[in-house]
Amino acid sequence: MPLYRWFRSLPLGLRSLFRREVDDRELDDELHYHLDLKIEENIAKGMTPQQARRDAKVELGGVEQVKEQVRGARTGAWLGTLLQDIRFGLRMLRKNPGFTAVAVLTLALGIGANTAIFSVVDAVLLRPLPFSNPSRLVMVWEAFPKLNHPKLSFSPPDFVSLERAQQSFEGIGGYREEFVDISGQGQPEQVTAARVSASLFPVLGVGPAVGHVFAAEDDTPGNRVVLLSYGLWRSRYAGDSHIVGRTIDIDRQPYMVVGVMPKTFAFPLPGPDGITTPAVLWIPMAFEPSELHDWGRLYATSVIARLKPDVTLEQARSEVASLAAPIFANYSAGAAGRFHNVRLELSVNPLRDEISGPVRTLLLVLMAAVSMLLLIICANVATLLISRGASRQKEIAIRTALGATQSRLLRQMLTESLLLALAGGALGFALAVWGKDLLLSLVPEDVLLPHQVSIDGRVTAFIVAVSCLTAIFFGLAPAYQASKVSLEGHLRESSRGGTPGRASHRLQDLLVILEFALALVLVVASGLLIRSFTKLLATDPGFRPDHVLTLSLPLPVEAYPKAVQIREFYQQVFDRVSVLPGVKDAGLASDLPIELGNLVRIDDEDPNQASRPSPGVPETWAMGDYFQVTGIALIEGRWFTPEDRLGTQPVAIVSQSMARYFWPGQDAIGKQIRWGQPDSPWQTVVGVVGDVNDPAYGQPGKSHVYSPYLQLSDQWVQENVYGTWRALHLIVRTQSDPGALTSAVVAQIHSLDPDFAVASIRTMTQVMDSTVAGPKFNTFLLGVLGGMALLLASIGIYGVLAHVVARQTHEFGIRMALGAERRDVLVLVLSKGLRLAAWGTLGGVACALVLTRLMSDMLYGVSSTDPATFIGVVIVLLTVALLACYIPARRATRVDPMVALRHE
Amino acid sequence: MSKPADLVQGTLDLLILKILALQPLNGFAVSQRLKQVSGEVLQVSDGSLYPALHKLEQEGWISAEWKITDNNRRAKFYSLTRLGRRQLEREAGNWGRLSAAISRVLRLRET
Repeated sequence: MPLYRWFRSLPLGLRSLFRREVDDRELDDELHYHLDLKIEENIAKGMTPQQARRDAKVELGGVEQVKEQVRGARTGAWLGTLLQDIRFGLRMLRKNPGFTAVAVLTLALGIGANTAIFSVVDAVLLRPLPFSNPSRLVMVWEAFPKLNHPKLSFSPPDFVSLERAQQSFEGIGGYREEFVDISGQGQPEQVTAARVSASLFPVLGVGPAVGHVFAAEDDTPGNRVVLLSYGLWRSRYAGDSHIVGRTIDIDRQPYMVVGVMPKTFAFPLPGPDGITTPAVLWIPMAFEPSELHDWGRLYATSVIARLKPDVTLEQARSEVASLAAPIFANYSAGAAGRFHNVRLELSVNPLRDEISGPVRTLLLVLMAAVSMLLLIICANVATLLISRGASRQKEIAIRTALGATQSRLLRQMLTESLLLALAGGALGFALAVWGKDLLLSLVPEDVLLPHQVSIDGRVTAFIVAVSCLTAIFFGLAPAYQASKVSLEGHLRESSRGGTPGRASHRLQDLLVILEFALALVLVVASGLLIRSFTKLLATDPGFRPDHVLTLSLPLPVEAYPKAVQIREFYQQVFDRVSVLPGVKDAGLASDLPIELGNLVRIDDEDPNQASRPSPGVPETWAMGDYFQVTGIALIEGRWFTPEDRLGTQPVAIVSQSMARYFWPGQDAIGKQIRWGQPDSPWQTVVGVVGDVNDPAYGQPGKSHVYSPYLQLSDQWVQENVYGTWRALHLIVRTQSDPGALTSAVVAQIHSLDPDFAVASIRTMTQVMDSTVAGPKFNTFLLGVLGGMALLLASIGIYGVLAHVVARQTHEFGIRMALGAERRDVLVLVLSKGLRLAAWGTLGGVACALVLTRLMSDMLYGVSSTDPATFIGVVIVLLTVALLACYIPARRATRVDPMVALRHE
Repeated sequence: MSKPADLVQGTLDLLILKILALQPLNGFAVSQRLKQVSGEVLQVSDGSLYPALHKLEQEGWISAEWKITDNNRRAKFYSLTRLGRRQLEREAGNWGRLSAAISRVLRLRET
């Protein structure tokens, strides 16, 4: 109906609504007048009164039927019909509270789960990024694929070269995450900051809320200016309206505030480069001459660029790829040699893909899982409706006799489904609001999600659409079936006590098969994750994480410029902490076990080394009783001693895997290595230790090199580009609960430096937990979904069989009267249920084999078609089906033939 | 429901409007008149007459009034409104064009 007609019909519809009774009475009068005249006419023609009456009625076609047609023909009748349908529907739902409650609650569960997941999908994959025209933004990466560096951020000189040479972009912006201390006014705190090039804000197309963004001249060394995030401005500076021009202390240096960014601005977005939280303040990139010197050494500048309006992504890709060779040509001979003269490559990717990349699989798998759950719920409600439709046949037959057309009945039934679905949707909405917060609170930090996930207009529209679709999906088939009832058929069936048509059986069977297939897919998916997760947990980490406290101790370059100061500070920390009561051992290291650490290239004396690929090997610089604290096992040789310091023979300890890789079949002790700097001294291997297995990376047997921190030269200790050697972790093994020692340890540090911002105080167990938090979360979510699917499917099969048994009571009665054993009846019902379950399971296995491939990169140590999981799940499902079928089957065997037959 | 001459969609409306243009009538009389004038060729079941009458009334093309008949009974009389007269002219014109066109087609001879 066109809109204008709809509007015009509305008042008429409303009028007919209120005049319904008057209209009906008048219509009645009118039709009876017609009948009377017709009868008189027929009598005048010579018919008997009875014949005259009958003829008149036949010609008119029944007063009630004509009335129904007249009502239907009235413009605006739809409104009255709709209200009538709704009223009637509500009455029907109220009359079956059990059915209504089950249907509404399960639908609410399904719709709520879908909405909660959708709100996250919307935020991550669908909603535009908070930048101007974000679809034109791309990220650019460097790579040395041959050296196992498939994706690197830019080095400062390469960034400058790219900026100068490129033609495809309106502009390119660079940024680098950095952790800084803010002090002065209030408690010193460590915050996430970003160094950004002045060109970044124009590229993103975002302006400040207050003040101005960086000008080109700010982007030079020595300019101490800072932009604040809205959040920091409000929390730390109480929204000071005169903040612009004020000076704040960053890493104990004064910086002038030039502006505040808008509330909605979040940058860098979590995702690419493993950045997890947006920065709270931005300072100019301002490359120092030392950073731009030679090859720049540090590949840590991420690059975002905006495509020119007339340039396509493909054109930009080919242009940027062609720039790799000229950029590498800028490398000095020495620098190029460091990279074995392998090819440098450049790549371009849309920003959206970079940001959604890490969680894309998880979200798609979750979305698929909750959609399947909703389908199962739909199928469940549909089977319930079919069972109910069978018991409503009498009602429907009467309505048909009174002139209801099939389409009218269909509409009535669909209205009832819609009411159910909308009630489910409303409740689901409430569930989603609550469930979304629950979901987000469960999300571990390293699952990268945007911070604004909200239930807004789009999500609401999604809920309404899903509810309506759901209603149609589960309502249509049963409604069609019910409305097709034929009068004579009904009369015959009801006289026999009612065996529903074959068709409704077949439909129910199909629905149950569908439920089982879907449930199997979900249970297999969660089973795979559970297997994978148990494998993760079973991995021996290679160290003892219990009773260990860790703290990060980064030393700002401004307060600790010299190596002497840095060594002195760490030595003091070690001396003081290791004698604290309750402390068994203490150690310091450049990174914690299972953290990836710094990858370095290791050379040995082997002249054939060039023929062997030299992947990056993580190197840890340790001091104090590092190995005793962590519990890494010594296999051969000795630990480091306090004698291993500058001026004595440089030494190293290697992991077992490293020893096997570098010197297969030989004794590693006594071998000489050095890390990939031409000026670094040769180190003698004095010990071999066990491998540390990082469960999160799932790479058992990793190469690892350990060097004494105190043998590191001044140049490296005070180095500030990597900052690795001025940011050691303190690791303490305690006698009892490690958390209880926190304040004592922090007090010791503050007694050394009152301004020190101690960061990331965690027990080693927490560190371990956080590395498996992602997989744990995935397993938990899918496990819950799989469990619900299993439960629903078993309710579904139970419902159908219970219905079958109830309807066929007399049949069982006859069978038993004819001599069937109870066992035979049991087998009959059970085999019917199991046949359905088996078909569903079969279909499910086929689907699962295809679908679980989607999640193969969420699995560790288990293939996506793991036979053990599949077989296990099939057994579980069939067992559950057997149990669900057993209750109705038993009831069938209890049938007393006499009662059953008399029941007719 | 197949009849010798199923009414073309919308034709019933046209016929009713035309009959009511001559004089106001009640439903029964409209039914009688339809049979008379079309020489029983157009068989309009009484069942479909009333929905059509009510629809026309709602469109505002005819108006209804309860009157006392000659034999002293209450009956609902329908009469054409001004809107209905305009609609009748429009529909009659359409019908004329349509039937003329169809006749022309049917007069075509194979050549």
